[in-house]
Amino acid sequence: MDTSSLLKQALDYRADSLLQDWTSHVIAHWHSQHSLNDYEQHNLQQRMTVIVQALTPILLRTPVERFEFDPECALAEEVRLLVGEQARSGIQPAQTSYLIIALKQVLTQRLIAVAPSVAELSAALLWLEQVLDRLALFSFEAFVETRERIIVQQSLSLMELSTPVLRLWHQVLLLPLVGVLDTARARQLTERLLEAVTRHEALVTIIDVTGVPVLDTSVARHLMKTIDAARLLGTSIVMTGISPEGAQTLTKLGISFSDVTSRASLRAGIAEALYLVGRRISPIGQNGDVKP
Amino acid sequence: MKIPILRLGRILLVSIQIDLTDNDAMQFQSDLVNLVAETEALGVAIDITALDVVDSYMARVINDTASMVRLLGAEVVICGIQPFVALTLVEMGRDLFGADCTFNLSQGMDKLHAKIALRADARYLEEDDAWPSAQ
Repeated sequence: MDTSSLLKQALDYRADSLLQDWTSHVIAHWHSQHSLNDYEQHNLQQRMTVIVQALTPILLRTPVERFEFDPECALAEEVRLLVGEQARSGIQPAQTSYLIIALKQVLTQRLIAVAPSVAELSAALLWLEQVLDRLALFSFEAFVETRERIIVQQSLSLMELSTPVLRLWHQVLLLPLVGVLDTARARQLTERLLEAVTRHEALVTIIDVTGVPVLDTSVARHLMKTIDAARLLGTSIVMTGISPEGAQTLTKLGISFSDVTSRASLRAGIAEALYLVGRRISPIGQNGDVKP
Repeated sequence: MKIPILRLGRILLVSIQIDLTDNDAMQFQSDLVNLVAETEALGVAIDITALDVVDSYMARVINDTASMVRLLGAEVVICGIQPFVALTLVEMGRDLFGADCTFNLSQGMDKLHAKIALRADARYLEEDDAWPSAQ
């Protein structure tokens, strides 16, 4: 009996239970880290069915020395879909790569059950191993690819989101900083701020660092550069929202921001900034006019 | 030994009257800094009239504290540096103190009030909702 007919037997051997064996293998292995709900399980099973269908003709080919996996074939497409879904839902890479390994285990057991002789068994096992190892590698690649695409997307949207320059009042700008300040972001931020200062001819800029989790040397250095650059355009800077921990770290690092006005809260900072442009916020009387 | 920090409206008053161990000094520093942030104080007066000796460590702690408090948006004065202490500090050649210094607490409070009067947040916000226990 040649390898492909042996493999065909292994695939056909209680054909309906192949998928079940595979699923139960996978679920048992995942169970500790990630339990699936019914919908997820159903979805997974459907994807697995399609993968088995697409894999069958490849396994039944005549074995060759070096198996070339075509990354454009239907099987590759299916694996990419399944793995992509998993990457997006935050499943661990080890769990995803176990998918294909589990299929190999199930098929190996079946081959052992149906093979008439050791020689035929080892030939079939070699072929199975070649194909499925290549597939496992591919699935891992696809997983990493999806993850990387997600990371790139996220960092792009983070860049867009986290550095708005707001016009608070005539000639007053507000720059609320949120998140970690790295070199790329700091440069982008400085560019935007300078552009906005020029456009609005801002006299005062409030930099609010309430949303910056850690103030360390590099963040402080970036901030210092931003502040110096903005100053050169003729705007004065009010810093707000430095936390007690942040103040202690900065001082211990020898950074005092000595020529920058600092205020405890954004509220105090806004009052200060408005004062600098000759405005104030005052309560209104009962008929809507300003109290003296 | 915990150094008490007194609140006078939106000014915090600290009087250091005994020599502090290094640990006490750090404790004092973080207590004061946290309280300034919590109460959004406008000014801090540190009185060291009772200190006859200020070593370089203590001098640095006071100086650092002043600069932290400034970062948190409050004004600082240091009051009552003894002549001999002043001499030692100058001899040590350190840049002491970055903050304003006054002869005694009374002048220190005057100076604080004068500095706070120049600030916008002190003028306009007190009428709103300065800080719960001040009402």
